[in-house]
Amino acid sequence: MNINWYLAVSALVFCIGAAGVLVRRNPLVILLCLELMLNAANLALIAFSRMHGNGDGQVFAVIVMVVAACEVCIGLGIVVAMYRRRLPIDVDEMRELHG
Amino acid sequence: MTIHLSILLWLPAAAGLLGMLAPRALGRWIAVAGAALTFAYTVVLIADFDTGARGLQYVTDETWIAELGIHYKLGVDGLNLMLVGLTGLLFLASFVWLALTDWERPGQMVFFFGLAESSVLGALLAQDLALFVLFFDLMLVPFFFLTGIWGPPATRIAAITKLFIYTLVGSLLMLTAAIALGVLSAQQGGGDLTFVLSDLARVRLSEGTQQWIFLCFAAAFLVKMPAFPLHGWMPDGYRNMPLPVLAVFSGVLSKVAAYGFLRVVTPLLPDASVHFQELMMLLALASILYGSAMAFTTTDVRLVLGYSSVAQLGFIVLGIFSLQGDGAQGAIFQAVNHGLVVAPAFVVVAALALRAGGSEDVRDMGGLAFRAPVLAAMFLIVTLATLAMPGSANFVGEFLILFGAFNSKIAIAIVAFTGVALASVYALRLFIRSMHNRVGADAVSRELTLREGVVLVPLVAVVLFFAVYPQLALDRSERAATQSVRVAGALAHPEETRIAQEQPTP
Amino acid sequence: MKHEAPNIDWAGLSPVIALLGGAIVVLLAGLLRSRLVRERAVPFLAIVAFGASLGLGIWQWGEDAQVFIAKGSQATLAFDELTLMVTFIVAVAGIATVLLSWRALAPREAAHGEFYALLLTSAAGMVAMAGAQNLVTLFLGLELLSVPLYVLCATEMRRERSLESGLKYLIIGSTGSAVFLYGLALIYGATGGTDLREIATGAAGEAGGDVLLLTGIGLTIVGLGFKASVAPFHQWTPDGYEGAPTPVTAFMAVATKAAAFGAMLRLLDVGLIDAQPDWAPLLAILATITIVVGNVGALGQSSLKRLLAWSSVAQAGYLLAGVVVASSLGVSATVFYLAVYTMMNLAAFAVIVARERETPWGDDIASVAGIGVSRPALAWPLTISMLSLAGLPATAGFIGKFYLIDAAVDGGYTWLGIVIVIGSMISLAYYLRVVAAMWMRAEVAAVSATAQPRLAGADPEAERPQWELYLVAIAAGAATIFFGVIPSPLFDLATAAGRSLGLL
Repeated sequence: MNINWYLAVSALVFCIGAAGVLVRRNPLVILLCLELMLNAANLALIAFSRMHGNGDGQVFAVIVMVVAACEVCIGLGIVVAMYRRRLPIDVDEMRELHG
Repeated sequence: MTIHLSILLWLPAAAGLLGMLAPRALGRWIAVAGAALTFAYTVVLIADFDTGARGLQYVTDETWIAELGIHYKLGVDGLNLMLVGLTGLLFLASFVWLALTDWERPGQMVFFFGLAESSVLGALLAQDLALFVLFFDLMLVPFFFLTGIWGPPATRIAAITKLFIYTLVGSLLMLTAAIALGVLSAQQGGGDLTFVLSDLARVRLSEGTQQWIFLCFAAAFLVKMPAFPLHGWMPDGYRNMPLPVLAVFSGVLSKVAAYGFLRVVTPLLPDASVHFQELMMLLALASILYGSAMAFTTTDVRLVLGYSSVAQLGFIVLGIFSLQGDGAQGAIFQAVNHGLVVAPAFVVVAALALRAGGSEDVRDMGGLAFRAPVLAAMFLIVTLATLAMPGSANFVGEFLILFGAFNSKIAIAIVAFTGVALASVYALRLFIRSMHNRVGADAVSRELTLREGVVLVPLVAVVLFFAVYPQLALDRSERAATQSVRVAGALAHPEETRIAQEQPTP
Repeated sequence: MKHEAPNIDWAGLSPVIALLGGAIVVLLAGLLRSRLVRERAVPFLAIVAFGASLGLGIWQWGEDAQVFIAKGSQATLAFDELTLMVTFIVAVAGIATVLLSWRALAPREAAHGEFYALLLTSAAGMVAMAGAQNLVTLFLGLELLSVPLYVLCATEMRRERSLESGLKYLIIGSTGSAVFLYGLALIYGATGGTDLREIATGAAGEAGGDVLLLTGIGLTIVGLGFKASVAPFHQWTPDGYEGAPTPVTAFMAVATKAAAFGAMLRLLDVGLIDAQPDWAPLLAILATITIVVGNVGALGQSSLKRLLAWSSVAQAGYLLAGVVVASSLGVSATVFYLAVYTMMNLAAFAVIVARERETPWGDDIASVAGIGVSRPALAWPLTISMLSLAGLPATAGFIGKFYLIDAAVDGGYTWLGIVIVIGSMISLAYYLRVVAAMWMRAEVAAVSATAQPRLAGADPEAERPQWELYLVAIAAGAATIFFGVIPSPLFDLATAAGRSLGLL
């Protein structure tokens, strides 16, 4: 199968993720969209790995998965801390910092 | 290779630093002693200067930043010798003036003032383009503090910020231009990167490159002078500086800009100097006329002196861009003269303001000569020197400048002549309105006090000395001034090339 | 198939080992119950770890160690002079940050061990990122740098701004990482390798034509731009800087920038050097935008942290000029300016921390009003820092800018040199405002009844003399003047770093 199909899907997923980060307001959904972006990159990496016939891309993808998990952990941690502070969970209402 | 110039250069800053750290009562006198020692050094330097020798004397040359080809190279020749002396004298006078007046935070004041003297001396002595630019930019920094801390509270911060940004706009463009000059010369000449002026002079850049570099340098120098139409910072700046600070700012800093034209622009960028000769002479002319007219109409005494500086510096630029040996020599001499005249004038302004109930408006003065003949006599000498009375050193300077301009562009020179006449109009108006006329409402006529006399009398004595013996300065500056405009002059006046070639070449 | 373990040059790796080992020790020591250990020994151990990393870096200077060499492939991590310079900058910034946060609120809220361990881990990530010769290492370094910083931003857990800054930084930073990763994936696809030299070989013939490669380069630059706060990817910077605890802001400002630029230099000048005609104009335009946006953004700010944030955007623009020209002179100039930038920013942040604790004004410009009279020992460092950031002579900032402009002109980008000085002119307007406030305005009297609640770090303990803040401020200020007058030692280091990438 042509690599372009994989790339097209990956680009689509990446764009969905990017659009989600820009448009959605709930931090949980934003974290989800970040995951989409990272996984789009993973898909591209694995497709390229297959195309070039070397394992580098697959190793890269595995490492990205670990890193993605870390990021989500931290993100959820901060969201929980904010929830405890009874902050509104809506990025548009975060107005403490502006200028 | 001698260490003398390094001592001269760093002495004021070191004394200022000591003055800041020393106890309050002692500090200011340490700084005065440092300035006195500096001045003594410059006097010895002038006396010891070898008039017959070519090129730089007392050269110090160390590699400062090898990677950038920047040298710590200092030297004196006819171009900067008398200006160094002027700097020493005016700063000493202002230091004494500061020490005799009560200020808040005197320690910081003498530190910034000492730093100012060192950076001015650095700009004058530097024989490396990067070093020159460094000191040229640095000398503004202390004045930011001196005005901002000790100026009139209501307006000082806005005024000095405006002055600082205005003048640095030119200076920063000059920084890029200077770097480009060094790098492009190295690329064209094939040698290592260097900013030493004598090395840069060996490479002649293409005319297009010279032109944009020239414009950047001219912007820096014309703003600092200031010349019309780049004088926008001047009125606010002059109104807000403490008078002792203003005396050196007006007396010395503007001269460094004029000196920069002769040191950097005409020798390194001869083609561009010829290309822009008429533009520069027209700007000079505009400065002369505008400055004279404004000096005649304004009533604030500081601004009368400020606008008269604009006019005087117009003459200096005119002399430089006549691209004639006489004009350049006259420009250097006139730079010294104007510095010598404007500093005592500011002392007189302080004395007048004291007698006119604190007002610096000429309308509140009048009749002050009534019981103060000595003060009036001093002011008269200064006034006559300002209007270039025959017999004064200023007359010699303006004569040389106009002589050069006549040989170069006769139409411009004829119009510039009216400037000489206008000078007598505004200078005499100031003298008559303040000293004679009806006594002002709150004005009290008092004789010169000892404090004022200590500062004023020596300055006036030097003015008189130069009137009698201008040769002291002229002999020393002739060779270097001619040399500075030789290449550009030969380009501008090919018919005189034969004469130029008879001039000694290094 | 027999598998050989990769060859690891332990000596070469030692600066990172010191940081990570220090992180573990600090984390464990933080578990002890003794207050003395937690509040005194833990920061001390963190300083020792940073110091050890600095010392080992000096020891490794000139060795050009290549670590993690698997059989048949290239080293994934290079400890050449460029990496070591970044290590020095990070270690110095780390020591200063530990001193600044020693008596701050943040480590007490987050538990001391964790706070300093995160700091050390982030520093290790920075070193790894700057030394990465492989896309995988590069990405790992970036994440190792970022993830602890997200947490550190949010450490003052009872202050809403801190949490908010942490979450914002996390979202925008992760977006940047994801874009960066996608760019790396495309570069891998276009060239078939993850090693920078394989990429250079793969990219050699394709530059200009390959859409995949060009898109990859573009996305990678965008991703690094997020980290280095290059406009238009700088929006997180003011919020992140203002909300984070000030010592953390200081660390973010200087160390992250050093790491991001180190990585940018290596990626662009080693891996993608043949595509320079493609990326250089893009980068030059980004530099111009960044300089203008940063300087204009800083004009109206009254919060010193926000002001420094915008100024850091502008400074990133200046630094880009050194990257654009892709010459060894450009690398040297960038590294030199990064070192200088570290000193001047640390001086400024130390003063801000000190005034945050002494006055009720937080980081507002009012907090430094009149300190020229009351606190000259703080006023001088901040003055020097501001003048140096503006690029005035006799400070290291002047020499740094001189060097950058020199590199730009030498590389044929004279117009970028002019953009830099125009940026400096605009910047004077806000730097001078701070200087004027210090020396020319009266101290703002604290009206306790109506004053704002005491902000970050302002706590009863602050009444004690805080010598460590003065130490950082004065040392950084003195260094700024010292390297402005005698820059040669720093030049030697920067030139060596410039040569290490093997450019012309």
